[in-house]
Amino acid sequence: MTHVVLESCIRCKYTDCVDVCPVDCFREGPNFLTIDPDECIDCAVCIPECPVNAIVPEEDVPGDQQHMTKLNAELAKGWPAITRRKAALPDADEWKDRTGKLDELVR
Amino acid sequence: MAEPLDATPHATSHLTPATAPIETDALIVGAGPVGLFQVFELGLLEIGAHVVDALPHAGGQCLELYADKPIYDIPALPYCTGRELVERLQKQIAPFAAGFHLGQQVSEVTTRPDGRFDVATDAGQRFVAKAIVIAGGVGAFQPTRLKVDGLDRWRGLQVSYRHHEDTPAAGQRVVVAGGGAEAVAAALDAVTQGAVSVTLLHRRDDFDAADAQLARLIVARSEGRIGFVAGQASAFTEHAERLTGLVVDCNDGSAQTLPLDLLWVRLGWSPKLGPIADWGIALDRKQVVVDTHRFETSTRGIFAVGDINLYPGKRKLIVSGFHEATLAAYAIADRVRPDRAEPLLYTTTSPKLHRLLGVSPEGASKS
Repeated sequence: MTHVVLESCIRCKYTDCVDVCPVDCFREGPNFLTIDPDECIDCAVCIPECPVNAIVPEEDVPGDQQHMTKLNAELAKGWPAITRRKAALPDADEWKDRTGKLDELVR
Repeated sequence: MAEPLDATPHATSHLTPATAPIETDALIVGAGPVGLFQVFELGLLEIGAHVVDALPHAGGQCLELYADKPIYDIPALPYCTGRELVERLQKQIAPFAAGFHLGQQVSEVTTRPDGRFDVATDAGQRFVAKAIVIAGGVGAFQPTRLKVDGLDRWRGLQVSYRHHEDTPAAGQRVVVAGGGAEAVAAALDAVTQGAVSVTLLHRRDDFDAADAQLARLIVARSEGRIGFVAGQASAFTEHAERLTGLVVDCNDGSAQTLPLDLLWVRLGWSPKLGPIADWGIALDRKQVVVDTHRFETSTRGIFAVGDINLYPGKRKLIVSGFHEATLAAYAIADRVRPDRAEPLLYTTTSPKLHRLLGVSPEGASKS
């Protein structure tokens, strides 16, 4: 079990989740955050922090985003840890309500 | 851990005189709902307990993360808030008069030759315990730091993260960072103490506190006794080994330096899994591995209950934690008093339990 960051995070990256994680399991890419499934302890503290509700427990990943579980694990291997909150991407507010952002993901 | 667990010394640590260790049957690490209920279950078995928690108040996640949010899955309580649950638990365990040691964190655990444990907190309190129960939840709540590199040099001098660390504000220029109840209270407190100036720094002009506090804030701001700046701290200025100002990136894109003598940071609390990793007990993905009979860890005499433990089928629910604490209590009784088998007694009918609880129910069973 782990928690998973969904597509809503892409091009927003608010990073509120990072501050509350007790085990520092978030990894940072250019325009997306991911959770390292080997570190996440399923405490769920990050869920209410995300302003775009991008984080869910693995078993609650919606049907059309099943690929995100695997993608989180894969990206987490190559990205550095982020343990401190920082400013969101400059145009985060314009992107936060959009869906189908997977093509926007920068690896 | 990437970040050491609160590496900064507490301002009071060195002033606290060394006290004799407290001898106790059980030491509970964590005063969340499961740690509190552990006091109750131990109490019914006549096992005394002391409780340590990093937060300055009991309640753990229930108060820190969802004090006013609803909980619907406590048996026989169709609805309550996190705060209500904690209040009810405190009332329930009151007969057992456990010792509470709040605002401090267990920093050392070593096994003694006699099988008991030497335990020390970062505030200098020492215990000798026959059993330890880790009810640590998601970790020890630490004050959220202001993310400006190098600022912690002045912690304990001009920068403080908790009320009891604050240098008196009289005659000083005070900047308070934060937007919650603690930040509002600190700003009002600084005014009361006679600060020369008080400035609240928060990302936006929106404060989350009780209505009465907010009303006082509005009055203080309208009278010019509390100033407000919307923005985020990005750097500091110093002169002659003193912190002299905080550089703020304002929301309008400009930068501004707030001159100050004292910086009170009140950004809330975040959990960090503590030095439990250094205690030598078996962990799996940072969870404490226990058996489902005694809820004992790989170290005999150290038990783990609630969100911090792991066993096949584990679900992080408060109600699971209550069950775990109940069985752990019997296992601890077995350890503390190995020569005495514990009969199963019911609170409905047992005169002995009534005595322990300080109750004399009408119509109690004649048995």
